[in-house]
Amino acid sequence: MMTGMERLAAAANGEQADRIPVFCNLFDQGAKLLGMSTERYYSSGEFVAKAQLLLREQYGYDNLWSLFYVGREAELLGCRRIIFAADGPPNVGEMVIKKLEDIDKLQVPDDLAAHPAFREVARCLAILRDKAGGRYPICAYLTASMALPAILMGMEGWLRLLLLGPAEARDALLEKCSAFFRKELDAYRAAGADVIIYSNPFGSTDLVTMRLFRELSLPWMRKDLDGIDTAGLVYYCGSARFNQVIGQVIDQLGLSCFYLSPLDDVAEGKAAIAGRGLACGVINDIQLVGWSEARVEAEVERIIAAGKPGGKFLFGTLLMPCGIPERNIVAMLRAAYKFGSQP
Amino acid sequence: MFSEVIAAYNEAVFDTDRGRALQVVQDALAQGVAPEDVLFKVVAPALELMIQTVSGEAEFNLAQHFMASQIAAEVTEAMLSRMAAPPQAIGRVVIGTAPGDFHSLGKRIVVGCLKARMVDAIDLGLDVTAERFVDAAVERGAAVIGISSMMMHTATGPGGCLKVRQLLRERGLEDKIKVAVGGAPYRFDPELYHAVQADAWASDGVMAGRVIADLIKEA
Repeated sequence: MMTGMERLAAAANGEQADRIPVFCNLFDQGAKLLGMSTERYYSSGEFVAKAQLLLREQYGYDNLWSLFYVGREAELLGCRRIIFAADGPPNVGEMVIKKLEDIDKLQVPDDLAAHPAFREVARCLAILRDKAGGRYPICAYLTASMALPAILMGMEGWLRLLLLGPAEARDALLEKCSAFFRKELDAYRAAGADVIIYSNPFGSTDLVTMRLFRELSLPWMRKDLDGIDTAGLVYYCGSARFNQVIGQVIDQLGLSCFYLSPLDDVAEGKAAIAGRGLACGVINDIQLVGWSEARVEAEVERIIAAGKPGGKFLFGTLLMPCGIPERNIVAMLRAAYKFGSQP
Repeated sequence: MFSEVIAAYNEAVFDTDRGRALQVVQDALAQGVAPEDVLFKVVAPALELMIQTVSGEAEFNLAQHFMASQIAAEVTEAMLSRMAAPPQAIGRVVIGTAPGDFHSLGKRIVVGCLKARMVDAIDLGLDVTAERFVDAAVERGAAVIGISSMMMHTATGPGGCLKVRQLLRERGLEDKIKVAVGGAPYRFDPELYHAVQADAWASDGVMAGRVIADLIKEA
């Protein structure tokens, strides 16, 4: 029986494993599994690690997550209020940047690893590394400099600043966000993360024009990644499509793993990558809430049929809403193992 | 002439260039185009053109939708202030985000587009309870309740659109007040609006302007 790490390495190297890697992103389901509120669940790295290990063991997929919730990055930058929900992911409840003057006050912590908001994440990573390190890829979620302001000042405020200026304030904020990303990357890697999801919805032409992608998104991503080892970094734009920019990302950023949008054409994405990296075909998991098991299986078969030929492919999910019935999680994974198997 | 002005205005909007779009309007006014014509023969058709193009081959992105809406609202306000007898609003909508949802952008785009369509949009803000949606619609005489959700659990939660529908039914208001929904979960599942018992949905903010205006006209 191969491990998830062996499957991922085989896929990345264009070699054949027993099946393609399958990444399943179960987050808030951990709280349900341990029978506690999300607020209590996310208060402890021990709870998150325990649930991640149990969920992976129960379903048999190939990855483990150290992500608590996206708002954790805002906490590292001064947010003091997170709103927890009974049936969904926690939300940022207080904007760190309420007015432009707050950009000057924004402080990137000197030692991220020592920050109280990172302590439980580090604890989670230590447990995952101890129990499954080297056997299952441990994933971390880091927001790119271009997207981080949306968590700090709200998407509306950020889009306004990005498009209407003042450019000096925009650039000052991006500078700090880029510095934060680089520190965060070091901290997560030092704590044991193997796979870094480099999340940047602004790296998609669903969000910005190609002109803005070239003039702002690409240069700031270049700055984020300048001089760092990009091995294990995954290009991800949330649910936004990015097939159109894959060539530029490979040529200019040197990234070689692409977690496509469920709305991207998988075969087209693979053609754009042209053997230069790994593609993940992602299921539209919002529809798993209402689909029949047969429909789920057919969709998994379609995605894998489009991506598996030629190798360098894995199957993945997006954010897996809590409302997805257990039978559909099982049906999706059963189909992924069946259609992803390799003789 | 209007087709040239529309083309120049749209080109600026699609390039997310607010300054150039406003300059096109200024130039048109300087050439003697009436404020009414800027409003009804340039700004409104430009939004329609965006919808038609979105439905066709080309697609537009979030930045373009945001700019189209903000510029349209700004120009509309400026043109109305120049008119001796500004036209009456065609109707009223109350709009907000679902309970537990703190994402304001989609709602902001919709409100801007509604303004350009001469719809009076009452913005109830973020994290709006079902009771508040219905009470506000009754108090303000709104024909439509618009509910924006960026997350699956806020779209489908029992306290959101489903509760609004229940309250409208209990109070006998279903014929008078329609419900429109929008946001990311609906884009990923176009049938979701049935599950939450809304009357209509829109795939983006610009389209939402048209959907809500159509619901008002039907009322």
